[in-house]
Amino acid sequence: MTENAISLRNISKSYRTGLRRKRKTAVEDLSLEVRAGEIFGLLGPNGAGKTTTIKVLLGIVFPEGGSGSLLGEPLGGRAAHDRLGFLPEQPYFYGFLTAEKGLELYGKFFGLDRASLRQRSGELLDLVGLSAGNHLTLDKYSKGMLQRFGIAQALLNDPELVVMDEPSSGLDPVGQKEVRDILVHLKELGKTIFLSSHQLSEVENICDSVTIVNRGRSVKEGNLSDLLAARGLTRITLKGGGPDAAERLGQVSPQVSRQGEETLLDVEGVRVFQALEAAKDLGMELVSVKPYQQSLEELFLETIRETSA
Amino acid sequence: MRNIAYIAINVVKDAARRKIFYVVFLFGLAVVALSPLLPTFEMGARAQFLRDVSLSLTALFGVVLAVILSVGQIPGEIDRRTIYNVLSKPVSRLQYMAGKYLGVIAALAGILAVMGLEVLVLIYVRLGVFTPVVFQGVFAVFLESAVIAAFCLALSTFATVPVNVFATVLFYLVCHVKTGFLHEKLVEGATGFVRVFSWSLYYVIPNLENFNVSLQVGYGGGVPATQMLRITAYALMFIAIFLIIGYLVFRRRDL
Repeated sequence: MTENAISLRNISKSYRTGLRRKRKTAVEDLSLEVRAGEIFGLLGPNGAGKTTTIKVLLGIVFPEGGSGSLLGEPLGGRAAHDRLGFLPEQPYFYGFLTAEKGLELYGKFFGLDRASLRQRSGELLDLVGLSAGNHLTLDKYSKGMLQRFGIAQALLNDPELVVMDEPSSGLDPVGQKEVRDILVHLKELGKTIFLSSHQLSEVENICDSVTIVNRGRSVKEGNLSDLLAARGLTRITLKGGGPDAAERLGQVSPQVSRQGEETLLDVEGVRVFQALEAAKDLGMELVSVKPYQQSLEELFLETIRETSA
Repeated sequence: MRNIAYIAINVVKDAARRKIFYVVFLFGLAVVALSPLLPTFEMGARAQFLRDVSLSLTALFGVVLAVILSVGQIPGEIDRRTIYNVLSKPVSRLQYMAGKYLGVIAALAGILAVMGLEVLVLIYVRLGVFTPVVFQGVFAVFLESAVIAAFCLALSTFATVPVNVFATVLFYLVCHVKTGFLHEKLVEGATGFVRVFSWSLYYVIPNLENFNVSLQVGYGGGVPATQMLRITAYALMFIAIFLIIGYLVFRRRDL
């Protein structure tokens, strides 16, 4: 297995749109790396270039600039595709096939023989909660059922790398949890997962590293826990202290907020003791002192706001 | 090679469930079956006339089916986005396109074989004559339909469905009049642009009249083996040319 499952360097892609065939940039100078064995999240608002990036990875569109590799093979070739699983956004499949026939067709492309295909199909349909022997054709499936089928077909070849575009789309909360569990299980098996998602809580729960893209550019990337702790703040949680406590603590740090009975104070590391002294003077009770971690949602919104200005 | 077969089988399965396909197919069978009732036929009822008319109608429906089957294969999959999932597997664009084409002509072969059988039974029932020579005509119709399907599939790699249908119908008509109108323009000594244009068209586009053996089949004498071989090679050449052009466009197309 290669060190990086995916490596993109300075990828650019634009499309011609409208009557005047004006060029619209979809991805510009985008670089990213996905280490083998990790769960990677590609985040960004609508139109940020996430789907184009995935299409470039899969050789469905061709970049105008840049280079890259997929499982150690040059981008654009087919050599890595037998070790790759893909779940497209809003999965579209041949509607006239049943789930079993669909898996049979896709499995044949990987050279799986009939016996192993039958066994693998049964296992995967069980895994995603679709019963084998269901004679409904795929065009009769609900969005959630199609999504489950999509996940099953993406895992047919026991891939080293799974690329998933919005894997939880259309699923109820139970289904979303099941997908998260599947992804974590795949990681435990040593698989690499490339995830494009709008479900920030899902990404925050399971991803090791992320890249945030906006307007076709990579605007923030790195290890997720490092990014969320990047501001170097400490959160002090206090109780009591009277009505003017928040105002007086504001002299130590401007980031004071109330949450029910508690006062939350976010301070830089060097001012922690000063803040604790002030709280003691105010007669406040200390609840906890923890390194402050932003939520991914906060980080995402802040990054998009900064880079859209 | 196996991937080409799997894609082709999928095309045949998809074709088998399309309602428009059955409507045209049943209509074709009905017209062939009713052709003896045509007034012109009643006036001069002869086995050769029945063979000729039935074969001409089979040819017409063969071409219509070739267009219906091939025009939406690639654009339809791009619109429905089913193509992404196939091309993310270890399937090359060459395999994909070859599979699509083989699927179309396999479906065509099946339909035309049934229509040929219908003509054979019809003639036997009406006139008590067993004329397997009809299948030579059906094979020629198949070759012509296969050329049209290759043209249509190649065009579908970059043209929209309405443009493709219009262009294919135009192509079909031009390819049938070329021996008449275009040849006259050349022989009659046209000059300048008209001559260059006529000359180019005459030698570049296929002559679909080569596949019209309905008169020979009609007379019951059959088509010489050398002629069948010649038109088979002629069809294969144009099929290869169209598919190569289509593939060259498709292989680097953003989907």
